[in-house]
Amino acid sequence: MNLRPLLPVAILILLHGMACAATVEAEKHLQTAVNEVLSTAERAANLGALRTNLRPVLQKHISFDTMTRRAVGPGWRQFTKDQQKQASELFTTLIIRSYSSKFTPGERPVITFKAATEPAPGRVEAPTTLLYQGGRYSVTYRMEDSEDWRITDVVIEGVSLIANYRTQFDAQFKKGGAAAVVDALSQSVANP
Amino acid sequence: MKLPISLLLLTVATAPFLTSCASQAGKQPAPASSATVGDKKSDGKSVAARDELDEYKAVPISDPLEALNRVTFWLNDGLYTIVFRPLSKGYEFVIPKPVRTGIYNVFENVKFPVRLVNNTLQGNLKRAGQETGKFLVNTTVGVGGIGRPSDHIPALADVPDADTGQTLAKWGLDHGIYLVLPMLGPSSVRDAAGLAGDYALNPVNWVSIFYGGYTWIMAIPSTNTVRALPVQMGIYDSATKNALDRYLAARTAYVQYRREAALK
Repeated sequence: MNLRPLLPVAILILLHGMACAATVEAEKHLQTAVNEVLSTAERAANLGALRTNLRPVLQKHISFDTMTRRAVGPGWRQFTKDQQKQASELFTTLIIRSYSSKFTPGERPVITFKAATEPAPGRVEAPTTLLYQGGRYSVTYRMEDSEDWRITDVVIEGVSLIANYRTQFDAQFKKGGAAAVVDALSQSVANP
Repeated sequence: MKLPISLLLLTVATAPFLTSCASQAGKQPAPASSATVGDKKSDGKSVAARDELDEYKAVPISDPLEALNRVTFWLNDGLYTIVFRPLSKGYEFVIPKPVRTGIYNVFENVKFPVRLVNNTLQGNLKRAGQETGKFLVNTTVGVGGIGRPSDHIPALADVPDADTGQTLAKWGLDHGIYLVLPMLGPSSVRDAAGLAGDYALNPVNWVSIFYGGYTWIMAIPSTNTVRALPVQMGIYDSATKNALDRYLAARTAYVQYRREAALK
């Protein structure tokens, strides 16, 4: 029997299986991350403790280096190694602070995971619905399989965290290059 | 071309499996930002290749009045700090949370004509029907909209909001220029026109027209403003706190948010 005509279908099935495996794997990572964040937030007595305790958890599941590079954009190549390290550390602190401030210790959000998609190989978008403090929000996690499945952007009601900082970094970069970006980041981190 | 019968059968048999994961990509709304993560061109596998694609270019909006807008932004910011935020905190302190939630829900439920008319104008009769169902359930079972039992009915739980600015966007109207409105904050020429439409469609504002009198004009819309303050202040703080440039942060967040609304 000539099986050649079945080859395209077999390839499609194989590719489909790989795509599903990626979304399943990414979703598994995301659910672990969300559960760890929520249980950490629940145990925190106040906002200060919340920030401190969340830091290692978020660093495990979020690729802050990727986030910083994407937020800065093509100008990243003009940063020295030291400036890149500094910018990445400052941006990490800013994001963790911003993320932590969204939690009220003792209030647990209800998160519903929807079907994730794989828009390109090695990238997954996982949409969720968040019920928190009487509001319903759509939150999409963008994940990439670099070292492991890590979150690289969070999109809340269509507002991408990275795109939001990109506009601000662009303006600083036009003013004074990498040094201006690092300075502006330092100032933001210094302002509580 | 004649296809072998075995291939046809296999294709039909495997179709559900082939579509179960891949078809979701088609259902996924496009990212609201200019960051088109789903772009087919982004098939580069290395992180560096993905960085090169520069998917997060600045979100475009014309802002020729930036100098004036910045002044209005900072005046608004002062107003929020001196008046609205303390008012919001006071409201949260005095009124217990379940009561606040009830009041919030009632005003959202009353806004039903805004959502119904705009869904209809957008030609989305399914959503207009869902909104009607939501309104009926929340008004009756939810006792005048105090409760939101529709949240527990899957078909009614996740109906996207609809407003006049969104309708104008769906009709193909661009933002025009970016505006920061006194007190109201980020907007655009299109969305400011939309706000006028929403105002006219919101029964909260009809009360003052039909019944007249200073008390009504002040009481109901004022309550409507105060009940929304904690949420509005929360959104404003989320967008601007920890920003490098709060004006740009608010503008970018606004444009992304409205783009997402137009895609829903």
